[in-house]
Amino acid sequence: METDPLVRDYLGRLEAAAWMLPGDRRRELGEEVHEHIDAALAAAGRQDEVAVRNVLERLGRPEEIIAAEVGPGGPPNPTQAPDPADPARRSMGGVEIIALLLLTIGAIFLPLIGPLIGLVFVWSSSYWTRNQKLVATVIVAVLLLITIAGLAVGSGSAAQPQTTRSM
Amino acid sequence: MSIEPVYLLIPLAGIAAAVFLVAVGLRRRR
Repeated sequence: METDPLVRDYLGRLEAAAWMLPGDRRRELGEEVHEHIDAALAAAGRQDEVAVRNVLERLGRPEEIIAAEVGPGGPPNPTQAPDPADPARRSMGGVEIIALLLLTIGAIFLPLIGPLIGLVFVWSSSYWTRNQKLVATVIVAVLLLITIAGLAVGSGSAAQPQTTRSM
Repeated sequence: MSIEPVYLLIPLAGIAAAVFLVAVGLRRRR
C-alpha cells in the first residue's frame, strides 16, 4: 500500500520534531505512529483524505507527541546507562535464539514444521517490531508457497501419461 | 541420489527470514 502524502508529511514533521531523541528511538517512534495510523484507517474502513485528516487530528500535532515522549524532564541524557528493560536496547534472549535456530537448522531437520514453529517464537518475542515480524512471516510464507506450488506442478506432470513415444 | 531443487527452498525460506531478523536486530543496536 502506498503511503498517503498527508501521512508522509505528518511522519516527516514527527521525525523533524524528534531530532533530540536517539536515532533508534526516533525510528521506532515513527514506526509506532505509522502502525497506529494504519490501524486507525483500517478501523475507519476508508482511506480517503477526510479519514486520514481525522486520524491525524485525533493523534495530535507531531510536536505534542514528541513533548509527551520526552516528558517534562527534557530530552533523555545520551550518556545515561541504557535501560535493560527497553526492548530496543536489550540483546537477544532465549526466545530469539530458539526462533532463529528453528528458522535455520530447524528448517533443514524439520522441513515446513521447523520454520513455522520458529515463526511462533518470533511472534512471541518483543525483540522485533510488528512490521519486522510481518516481513519475516511473508518471506517464509512466500518461499514455502513456491515450494508447495513447485511440488504440486512436479507431481502433476509426473502423473500425466506419456503421450509421445520414440519410434 | 539427487534432490529436487524445489526442496532447497524450504531451508532457504527459514534462513532468509533469520538473516532478515538478525540484520534488523543488528541495525537497531548500532
